[in-house]
Amino acid sequence: MDAVENPNPPKAFVHPVEAERTRLLSFYGIVWEYELRTFPLATDEEGNVLEAITPDFYLPGHGLFIELTTLRHTLARLKHRKIRRMRQLYPDVSIKLIDRKQMIALLVKYGMEADLPNIIGNPADFDAAG
Amino acid sequence: MQPGDSARPALTQLGPVVFGEDQIRHRVAELAADLSTDYIDKNPVVIGVLTGTVMFMADLLRMLTIPVEVDFMAISRFGPPQQTHGAVRVLKDLEIPLGGRHAVLVEDLVDTGLTLSHILGTLQARGPASLRVCALLSRPQRRLIKVPLDYVGFDAPDDFLVGYGMHYRQQYRQLPYIAACRVNGAVP
Repeated sequence: MDAVENPNPPKAFVHPVEAERTRLLSFYGIVWEYELRTFPLATDEEGNVLEAITPDFYLPGHGLFIELTTLRHTLARLKHRKIRRMRQLYPDVSIKLIDRKQMIALLVKYGMEADLPNIIGNPADFDAAG
Repeated sequence: MQPGDSARPALTQLGPVVFGEDQIRHRVAELAADLSTDYIDKNPVVIGVLTGTVMFMADLLRMLTIPVEVDFMAISRFGPPQQTHGAVRVLKDLEIPLGGRHAVLVEDLVDTGLTLSHILGTLQARGPASLRVCALLSRPQRRLIKVPLDYVGFDAPDDFLVGYGMHYRQQYRQLPYIAACRVNGAVP
């Protein structure tokens, strides 16, 4: 299976955390592309794609795909499984999953803990995170 | 000063000690010994990135047994939208020209590699004879950008860390140890 260019990349970010991530990358001069490539993970006998993953970002200067998730670990199993499958099928492609805990840590590091509810989600979930 | 000392409100968010004072001193001595061996007769420029490296730099420099020159630089940090404008900027530049010199960049903590990658690019453009990185802490599990780390003190856990130069809202830098810091009751 081969990765395909996304014919209709989204014009706006799906989640606020994606906007924050691009702000961070742009701050440090890192060139990024948003949801430009889709990787089929499973196909039927006729070659129709049954399952795929479209990583949130691609950093062309570093050959790295980035996938973000704000879901708590137990709810992010599907995404973890897709990432594992992608690594099996496309071993030459680098992908990094940034999970909820890492994003919280990054936002706290940059003094943005007050924005956590808006970016990450429910404050109650945040208080119980970790 | 002890973590969790309720008599000191500023410390109530401290979690457990991750790297103790003796542990840090011992490891810094090892790093200094390695640098002293590798840079003998090279008179390197040892560069600290403000402000997080101040404690590490002070201890490391005092344990070096070779001649060195010391300089500091500061760059703007990423932050909330209302406080962060445009791209990263050099707020305090080096005073020592690096052209043809051997340089060692000292960092407190390297996690995503974004900051370090930017600084290395800036310094490499000045034509040093060599440029290596000495980081007290590394979090390879958070790395986004590949960066060369030539000397590493410890691999750090995912906890948010403060002390020994590192801060939360500019507090805790003065602690002689490194501790986890709780934010909103959680250790992120």
